[in-house]
Amino acid sequence: MVHEIVTSKYRIFIETLFFTLLILLIGFLMGFLVEYGRTNKIVEYYREFEVDALDITLQNYYYQSMDESTCKETIKQNFIFADEIYNKGLLLEKYEDANELSDAILLEKKKYVLLKTELWLNSVLLKQKCEQPFHTLVYLYSQTDDLIKEAEQNSIADILRKIKEEKGNEIILLPIAGDLDLDIINLQKRIYNITYLPSIIIDEKIVLKGYQKEEEIKKYLD
Amino acid sequence: MDKIIILYSVMFFFGIYFLLIFIILKFRNGKTIYDYPEAKKFPSITLITPAYNEEDSIADTIKALLDIDYPKGKKEIILVNDGSTDKTLVIMKKFAKNHKEIKILDKKNSGKSDSLNQAIKIAKGELIAIVDADSYPTKDALKKMVGYFEQDKDMAAVTSKVFVKNKKNFIEKFQDIDYRVIAWSRKILDYIDCVYVTNGPLSVYRKEVVKKVGGFNTKIVTEDIELTWNLMSKGYKTKMSYSAIAYTSIPKTLRAWIKQRVRWNVGGFQVLSKYRNYFLRENLFGYFVISYVSLSFILSFLGIFLLLRFFYYTIFKYLFTIPYIMQGYNPFIFMEIKFNLTIMLILGMVFLLFSLFYHKMALHEAKNNNIPTIFKYIFLYRPLYIIPLVIALYKMARKDVGWYTK
Repeated sequence: MVHEIVTSKYRIFIETLFFTLLILLIGFLMGFLVEYGRTNKIVEYYREFEVDALDITLQNYYYQSMDESTCKETIKQNFIFADEIYNKGLLLEKYEDANELSDAILLEKKKYVLLKTELWLNSVLLKQKCEQPFHTLVYLYSQTDDLIKEAEQNSIADILRKIKEEKGNEIILLPIAGDLDLDIINLQKRIYNITYLPSIIIDEKIVLKGYQKEEEIKKYLD
Repeated sequence: MDKIIILYSVMFFFGIYFLLIFIILKFRNGKTIYDYPEAKKFPSITLITPAYNEEDSIADTIKALLDIDYPKGKKEIILVNDGSTDKTLVIMKKFAKNHKEIKILDKKNSGKSDSLNQAIKIAKGELIAIVDADSYPTKDALKKMVGYFEQDKDMAAVTSKVFVKNKKNFIEKFQDIDYRVIAWSRKILDYIDCVYVTNGPLSVYRKEVVKKVGGFNTKIVTEDIELTWNLMSKGYKTKMSYSAIAYTSIPKTLRAWIKQRVRWNVGGFQVLSKYRNYFLRENLFGYFVISYVSLSFILSFLGIFLLLRFFYYTIFKYLFTIPYIMQGYNPFIFMEIKFNLTIMLILGMVFLLFSLFYHKMALHEAKNNNIPTIFKYIFLYRPLYIIPLVIALYKMARKDVGWYTK
């Protein structure tokens, strides 16, 4: 039977099947290697924040015991730190767009969100100590596949980016994923009565739900 | 694994598999593509042309039939007037007056299949050649086909290569490419005895065999495909002579093109349905032809689904931002190109490369066989296939195929 197949006109189908499977296998292997490499890169990139996480914890200890005389220098350092985290976040966003959110990435992302939340709480503390010298603008967004929400969020992110570029060191902009089921985020959402993502929290007083015009946001910052 | 990735993988698997079959067969047999068995003794042949309201083309077709080079006294021509309401019959009679080999069968309109069956009944030839009323075989075409029948008693049908006659506008030029690709791929399948369509512009059949299998089916709109499948399912052989050429008139407008392709698709569905029990049974017809044709349809639908999904995720995403664009949002952010080297992209590139290679080989005789033309053919013309396919499916679902048959 095997001999008949090998010597008959059916042989072409077996041969082609072999070549096709070989091509698919090579394609899959190459694809997986590329995907695996990129996922690792994202995870590694997130891991770089581990030092920042320790750094920010120590900053928190310092903020609690500091006096007003060091406010200027501390705020300056806080901005450098916040800007660094924000810019790294933008770069990560581009990597994430090209990848599925794997479990490994998700775990690292949660750590990154916690770091940003800690930065936010530190900034609040700093504002209290130094009598409101800057604005905090927390942008709580959703990790969603919903097209309309994605468009809405892209629009808000673009407006906030512009405002941050314009205002510079007057504001700390903190985009935070609000639906990663993290206790501290859930707590903040309850405190500020946030039931809809995306929302913007300005100076822990104003909550703006959904898309807002640039002027509307700026109104609370001037 | 994501369901969509599975769908893409299935599509790429079968797509690459079928393309490779053609490419490998071409490399193994390509040198003999123009070969055909020379006929030693020429059997008598009856050329049959059924016509319904073909006053614009019938005269040229009759001239072409008369010009065909074949031993004297062995060629008979039967022109069937299928109840035409124009001057078709008048033109036929004019030719018949001066040429004794022409016979006219004038009958009430009953459709192409019935016209052919009636003509076969009175045909005297050992072989019959079917020529559409808007087609024009070249002088030497028959001589390059009849030799196949001497080779093998089981040889039931031999088909020819069809070129388009008129090719001026977009739709005509791309049909020209289409016909060349179809002809080449059909010849490649000839190497594994899988010529599953004997075309209407010029195909030759062994008359006794056609009679034995019941002639042309009057209930199926693509009677030529049905007859071929009928013959193959009964173990008869079909071949293609790549050197035998027939020119044919093609639809000049998109509307006419859609109508023609709807008929082809409806016919395709009908024969698939009729011969479904042969699937993966007995011979190459069951194992390959039915699988190949049904998978072509399935892959087309899969392609439609994935294309619609693509539009949904790109165009709609863009549309959803319109309210935000009106608020001053920069829409060009969505136009950022992300070169994601994913598995699907790699497989997609492999598929595209094979596809380009396949079309390049298929268009070896065409003047315009450069890569940009092939790209236009693949990405502009081929997606149009979706329209008649969907219409055909709709008509089949509604059992609305009566307007094609009598």
